[in-house]
This record gives sequence, structure tokens and C-alpha cells, in this order.
Amino acid sequence: MKALGPVVAILVVVLLLVSGALFTVDQRQNAIVFQLGEVKEVVTKPGLNFKWPLLQNVRLFDMRILTYDDVEPLRFLTQGNRPVLVDSFVKWRITDVRQYFISVQGDEFRAATRIRQTVSGTLREQFGVRTLHEVVSGERDVIMNQVRELVDLDLKRIGVEIIDVRLKRVDLPQEVSESVYGRMQAERKRLANELRATGAAEAERIRADADRQREVILAEAYRDAQRVRGEGDAKAANTYAAAFSKNPEFYSFYRSMEAYRSTFRGRTDLMLLESNSDFLRYFRDSLGRQSSTRK
Amino acid sequence: MSLNDPNWGRGGPRGPQGPGGGNQGPPDLDELWRNFNRKLNEMFRGRRGGGGADEPPGGGPSAKAFGGGAGVLVALVLAVWLASGFYIVVEGQRGVVLTFGKLSEETQPGLRWRMPWPIQSHEIVNLQQVRTIEVGYRNNVRTKVLKESLMLTDDENIVDLQFAVQFTVKDARDYVFNVRRPDETAMQIAESAMREVIGKSRMDAILYETQVDIANRAHELMQSIHDRYGTGIQVSTVTIQNAQPPEQVQAAFDDAVKAGQDRERQKNEGQAYANDVIPRARGAASRLGQEAEGYKQRVIANAEGDASRFQQVLAEYAKAPAVTRERIYIETMQQVLASTSKIMMDYRGAGNLLYLPLDKIMQQAGAAPLTDAQSSQRPSEPTPDLGPRSRESLRGRERGER
Repeated sequence: MKALGPVVAILVVVLLLVSGALFTVDQRQNAIVFQLGEVKEVVTKPGLNFKWPLLQNVRLFDMRILTYDDVEPLRFLTQGNRPVLVDSFVKWRITDVRQYFISVQGDEFRAATRIRQTVSGTLREQFGVRTLHEVVSGERDVIMNQVRELVDLDLKRIGVEIIDVRLKRVDLPQEVSESVYGRMQAERKRLANELRATGAAEAERIRADADRQREVILAEAYRDAQRVRGEGDAKAANTYAAAFSKNPEFYSFYRSMEAYRSTFRGRTDLMLLESNSDFLRYFRDSLGRQSSTRK
Repeated sequence: MSLNDPNWGRGGPRGPQGPGGGNQGPPDLDELWRNFNRKLNEMFRGRRGGGGADEPPGGGPSAKAFGGGAGVLVALVLAVWLASGFYIVVEGQRGVVLTFGKLSEETQPGLRWRMPWPIQSHEIVNLQQVRTIEVGYRNNVRTKVLKESLMLTDDENIVDLQFAVQFTVKDARDYVFNVRRPDETAMQIAESAMREVIGKSRMDAILYETQVDIANRAHELMQSIHDRYGTGIQVSTVTIQNAQPPEQVQAAFDDAVKAGQDRERQKNEGQAYANDVIPRARGAASRLGQEAEGYKQRVIANAEGDASRFQQVLAEYAKAPAVTRERIYIETMQQVLASTSKIMMDYRGAGNLLYLPLDKIMQQAGAAPLTDAQSSQRPSEPTPDLGPRSRESLRGRERGER
């Protein structure tokens, strides 16, 4: 049991040495081994590594894709001095740990500042030569690609690769938005008026067309009706003529008789008869001699 | 980020678990111990050629040397240390085990054991869990986040759009190792991609036509960006929850929609008028046609009838013209005179003053019973006896004559 104290002491010292001499590099990390402040070694492979305790120290760097996201949207001017608010994010990654450490002392915040400056400057340039419409719609991806390439080229110098620069929001500033709303309202009003007016016009057209059709239908019907009536009249006339022309003289007598019958038919018709009329010739004389002969 | 943090990253290791938690029984501790030693030896030999620290703890014999109490204590500490290597991977998850920070294996669901810290660590990634990003709103579509939802369209209008993105992790390793904060990245990608698609679409199309199409395009774009970054994320659905004009112009848009309906209504009213007028006109036309046809038939029939009657009479007349003519004349006169009022005058006495109160006679005639007039209208056979009235009037006439 006496030996326990020294054994424990030795064990503690050994453990301390071991923990000072071994370090692990994670899958996601690279490490730089410094010897008295000088970059001695860059460890890119994950696993357990050795360094001299006390003499050497290690810094680890996250090698995953990192994000720089704007906190506040940036205000740019597009061609024609139209202002836009742009919110973008940058995906970047450390490619050269040594360079990265030398340039920004391995400080992620400083790296982000550097990225922000470069990206916003490049974006400003790209926006300045494009119209608002191009920025919003047509050339959005072109801008993103160009900015990425330019920024990537620049930031290679600090050991950083720019994976992507993406525009998130491209918005109009508040005061411009108001005027856009005004325009949208006016546009909708125009559309609404147009719809109503064309609706009325269309309705009127349909009505007028209906009226026209009615006129045409009635006129055609009248025409056809008259034609039919004419046919009837013609046929009747033909029939009459054929029958009556056999004895015109008798026809006029016969037809006159018929006409008399149907003309004088009521008590209200008052006839003044002369006693010497043909009808009454027997009324005076049983032989029917005319009064003129007696006179 | 400290290396000494055993919970490096996200999912920390579960505490020691009792037996029966997984699909395999509790491992034998002795065996584990031997296993551990073997692994450790292999590792050190493999890595540094045995030049590193020579620290393997003594085996069984050296433990005995410590004697009773201390041995038990050490064994206990060792046991707890070893037990801290247990962890459970639930169904639908994957475990990723790191040996000194280096990826060594991906584990399937079940109770798992890894070597305890600081040698191995693990992370658990849920593959089946569907994660949702809400852009432009939180929890409820009505609680809008205008900063996210207002977007500029191709025709420089502003649209208020809420959408949700659902995604799962398809590759645990990529998810863990490639990108820092992949979920946040997914949100950034979602917003950026949707705005790009909206920026290329026209307002009316977004509001009234191609929402599904827009969602699909955004979906594709998101997935391609995820693949480029290697986030290990699979975008499963992109749904546009709500797309509408901003509040400031909502009324104008509603009015335009209403105007469209007004237009339809007006057209329908016009159509209704047409549908009323035209069939009526057709009806009237067909009446005209039928009437004309009727007239034609009637006129022809009348003509035929009259002609036929005349011809028959004519045939008889030809046999005895004088008698027939006289008979017809007298019959007609009888019929005419029988039904009318009459006054017979002799003009030879025209020099006398003759008073003839025509109006009175007419009144008297008008008051005559109708039946009498009707019966007289009928073409009756010549009756020799005259009505009393006629006789009277005849007498009266004679008186007047006198």
C-alpha cells in the first residue's frame, strides 16, 4: 500500500504528458501545429496525432461549408438610380489552412468581414450595370455566378473558397414599395374597368345580335307567309276563273243574287220599293204586265 | 469547438443503458475489456508505429497487485467508463461513430457500443424525421412574417407568398460532416430559391395560375443547391400555402376579380336576353307560317267550294235557263224582302205631300225581336203568308198612300 502514492503520482504525470502530447483532429477539421508560434505542420487527415507537449501547440479549423449571412440588407443602386435592398448569403470553406491563418489569423469573424467587404463591393458593381428588371428576374443567376467567380478569385488569397453567393431578398425600399403599390392599384383598377366595360360591350353585342336575329326571323317568316298566301290566292283565282268563265253572264247574275242576299239581311235595312219594280209586277197585275204599258 | 467535448456536434451519447433495451444482450464485460485492449494495441501500433506513449493499463495481474479495496475501486471506475460507451440508435436513425475524430463506421438501429471517450464518439442523425421550414409565416399562415413573405415578381409587382418546405436527411455522413448548421442552410436555400423562381414569374401567373409549377421549379432548384453543397438533405415537398397580393392593394385586386365576375354576369344577362327573344321570335315566325298556310288552304277550299256549287247550278241552268233564272231571282227577292223592312211607294202620286218618319221606323225595326230576324235570315222556302207586322205595315203604307 505504501507504493500507492508514488504510483498514483507517476500515473498522473504520465497522463498529463500524454494528454499534452496527443491530440485528435476531427473529420470536419484541419489542424495547424505551431512550434513556438511558427507554423510547423498542417494536419489535414483526421485521427490521433502527436505533438511535443509544452513546446508545440495546436489550432483547429472547421473545414465544413460555412455561411456568411447578411444581418442587414444592403442598399444598392441599379441602373437608372433605382435603389434596391439586397439580402444575400455566402457559402464558403477554408481550403488552405496555412494561408487562412496567415491572412486572417484564423479568426472566422475577420474572415467574414473580409468576405462581406468583397461580396458587397462586387455586388454593388454588378447591380450598377443592370436594370432593376434584370436584377430581379432575367440575370439573377448570372449575377450570382459572376459575383461568386470574382469573389472566389479574390479570396483564394486568404485560403478561402467561395462555394456560392446567393441573393436571398431583392426588395424595394419602403418608399419605393409604396409607389409600387400605387402602380399596382392603378393597374388593377384599369383591369377592372376594362373587364366591366368589355363585359357591358359584350352583353350589348349579344343583345343586339339577338334583336337582329329576331328581326330577321320575323321578316323571313312574313315573307314566307305572304308567299304562301299568294299561292293560295292564285290557286283560288285560278279555280274561280276556270269555273266562272263557262258562263260569265250567268255568273254575274248568280253572284249578284248571292250578294243581294247577304247584303240586305236585317230589319235595320229599310227598302223603299216602287210598285212598278219587276218583282212586284204581279202585285198590280195578275198577268204581270208592266205598269208602263198601262200608263 | 473543444476536442474534449464528448458531445461534439449535435446528438450526445446516451447514458449507460440497462440490458434489454436493444436487440442484443448485454456484452460480457471481460470480453469487452479484452476487446478494448486489443483495439487499443492495434490502434497505437498502426498509427505511430508504437513510438507513442506506452500507456496500456496493466491487465488482470497488475490489478491484483493493488490489493483489495483499491482494485475494486479501479474496477468500478473502469466499468462505469466502459459502460459510457453504450448508445441506442432508434429505428429510423443512423449512428455515426468517430474514432479519434475520424469517421470509422455508420451504425444501424439498435443498442450499440463504442469505445468510451476519448477514443470514440458518436453522433445520431434522424433520417426519417420530416423537418419543416416555414417561410413567410410561423405556425399559422395568418401569422405572417412580412420580411420573408413579400417578394418582387418579374413584372415588378410585389406578391405576398407563404410556403413550406419539408425535407429529410438522405445521407447521415454528408449531413454531419459537410456543412455547418445544415438546417439553417436549408432555410437560406429555400428562401433564395423561391425568390429566384418568383422573380422570374409574372404576378398574375403566381396568383391565379401556376402555383404548382412554381413550387416544382423551386423544389428542383433547392435540391440542386443542396446537392451542390452536399448537405445530405433531400427536399421532399415544397408547398405554397398562400399567395396573395400585399394587404395594401388587396382591395384593388379583389375588385378586379369582382370585375371579372361582373363581366361574366353581364354577358350571361345578355345571353339570357338572347335566349328569351330568339325562341319567341321563332315561335311568332312559326305562327305566321302556320297562319299563312291556313289562309291558303281556306282560300283554296272556298274557291273550290264556290266553283263546284256554281258549276252544279250552271249545269241545271243550262237545261232550263229562263225558268231557273226567274226562280233564282224571285227566291232571292223573297228572301231579301222577307228579312228587311220595306215601304212600298207609288211614285205616280209624287206630287202629294208624303210624310215618311224614317227614324221612327228604324227605331221600331231595331226593337224587333232577334229571333224573328234570324228566322228570316235563314234561306227558307218561299212562304205565302207574310208576318202580321208586314201586313200591318203594308196596310199602313196603303193608308199613307191614301
